[in-house]
Amino acid sequence: MKEFLKPVDGFRVIFVIGKGGVGKTTTSASLSVALARKGYKTLVVSLDPAHNLGDVFMEKLNNKPREIMENLYASELDMEGMIKEYLEHLEKTMKMMYRYLTVINLEKYFEVLRYSPGIEEYATLEAIREILLEGDEWDVIVFDTPPTGLTLRVLALPKISLIWTDKLIELRRKILERRRAIEKIQGERRFVVDGKEIRLASREEEDAVMRELNAYREEIMFVYNVLTNPKRTAVIAVMNPEMLSLYETKRAYESLREFKIPFNMIVINKIVRMEIPEIKGKIRTQEKIISEVKKTFKNVEIIEIPMFQEEPRGIEWLEKVGGMIIGDH
Amino acid sequence: MEPIKQFLKGFLEYFKQSSTEYIEFELRELENIFALILMGSFIGIPSPPTTLVLRLMPHMIREIKVMQQRAVDLDDIFAEIAGMFDID
Repeated sequence: MKEFLKPVDGFRVIFVIGKGGVGKTTTSASLSVALARKGYKTLVVSLDPAHNLGDVFMEKLNNKPREIMENLYASELDMEGMIKEYLEHLEKTMKMMYRYLTVINLEKYFEVLRYSPGIEEYATLEAIREILLEGDEWDVIVFDTPPTGLTLRVLALPKISLIWTDKLIELRRKILERRRAIEKIQGERRFVVDGKEIRLASREEEDAVMRELNAYREEIMFVYNVLTNPKRTAVIAVMNPEMLSLYETKRAYESLREFKIPFNMIVINKIVRMEIPEIKGKIRTQEKIISEVKKTFKNVEIIEIPMFQEEPRGIEWLEKVGGMIIGDH
Repeated sequence: MEPIKQFLKGFLEYFKQSSTEYIEFELRELENIFALILMGSFIGIPSPPTTLVLRLMPHMIREIKVMQQRAVDLDDIFAEIAGMFDID
């Protein structure tokens, strides 16, 4: 079995990425079945809003991990619901803090916030973070992700958030420095909003904004450290032997390298192995693409999965495919 | 003796006020920028992670107040700067 699938340093996180419809869910399901059979306590989570992990296992799934077989648990995250919950919680805290300050019309603001760009990515990242926080319960966590575009943006977020947070911390330090300088000459400073007197914080440990920034940085750093550690994270790209799929895999490879996230394996799915005269051209193209994949991705494991006569559903089928992926058959 | 004391005290007060004037101006500007960055999406500036913005918002009362005041005073920004440099 491949080293990058085993838990080495704590739990192992495996992301299964790829274009829509190439077989990410089937791959994640098969992989997790194979890992569970090896004795690893495995959790497979679907982050894809178009849920079909349950269909592959032929079981109904929800937010809570559900036991599918020995050592194997599966769940489907309800992103819509999570975003709603998250915003409701925020609205409550904001309303409390802003009781005496009517700067923005909050209700209207929250109504549109639900559709604000980026909120889905942040909710997905938040969901991943929450699962990782309880990661020690499992040996391996397999994430079945949404199509490449969204996934790459989610995986890029920790890095981008870190850049933003660091810049804001820098700016905040400058503000606090100036406040301290003035305080030294004029003494403690207060300011009044709507009759309520507020003391101006000048030290990092008493400034709520700085505390929040530091807390956020720590949370993001945790996710970033897990994602960029090759001993803890592995990414498997699934593709079909088609040009578009190949382009997308190349792009994903480049982006992940930029964010320093390991890229370990490519599963080429649905390869037609029979000589069928009618689709001779297509079969030639497939062969060409497979050899190009091998040429392009030198340090990446490449697994070829043939097109099966029937859709691989149910544990038996999944186990067979999973064995091919982890390399035991 | 008392008048001299009073004079010195007043002089010192004035000196204290004017010595922090520049830093205060700078501080106001920084606070304004801080709030502007966080609320930038309202005016089309790319903004930091939404989660982060929403988490900071509740603590931003002072900065938002400064930003609003800044917007009100904006038509007379030259007067403020001129005043600071003692230009009449």
